Amino acid sequence: MSEKTKTKNNSGVDKGLVAMFLKMSPEERLLANDNAARAILELRNAFEQQKTDRSGSKRNT
Amino acid sequence: MHSNSKKPTEADLSAILEGLIKADVKFILVGGLAAVVQGAPVTTLDVDIVHNRSSGNIAKLFKFLKSIDAIYRRPDDKIIEPKEDDFSGLMHALFTTRLGPLDVLAVVEEGKNYEDLLDHTIEIEFRGHKINVLNLKTLIALKRTSINPKHQQQLPLLEEALRQLAEG
Repeated sequence: MSEKTKTKNNSGVDKGLVAMFLKMSPEERLLANDNAARAILELRNAFEQQKTDRSGSKRNT
Repeated sequence: MHSNSKKPTEADLSAILEGLIKADVKFILVGGLAAVVQGAPVTTLDVDIVHNRSSGNIAKLFKFLKSIDAIYRRPDDKIIEPKEDDFSGLMHALFTTRLGPLDVLAVVEEGKNYEDLLDHTIEIEFRGHKINVLNLKTLIALKRTSINPKHQQQLPLLEEALRQLAEG
């Protein structure tokens, strides 16, 4: 069993991730969430753009 | 007719909180961001607040919402701006703003309002100011009663954070 698996409880929660987050200050946690949210939105927009580009190129062929 | 074709590209949820504080709005941070600040490793894309519904506070909240270009978040492209008297009732007002999504809730699960929740908050220090945040124990209790599947999925992480916090 890997070390990573050992740190998870029956519900699949990564205890190490929780512990790591708890070591941060509330402000650091907010900034981490902001960064994650920005990355998610950027990726979503890139995905949307790719879909638009694909449908555009299909129409042109 | 106005059209809302802009994609959401901004997510500066900390700036929304800072703006609310600077606008002197009385609110309690609830939802995913309340869990984040208390150490639950979840990611959320919006700010959820329960506001104090006094007329003075609603005026401050409305002014702040105008300053961040808040419009109602809708599945269609219609642009509907909030009106001040939208916030005196019990409705949930879900907005898109230039800083990211902001949900302004009059009440949460079990009809609990600002006054009901105030005794179940912790104060956190944020950029030199205090914010009232719904405590993790109450957040978990409310999420348990929620029918939203996202809330149910987050529960084990919130419970683990609470357990580790209790252990110190």
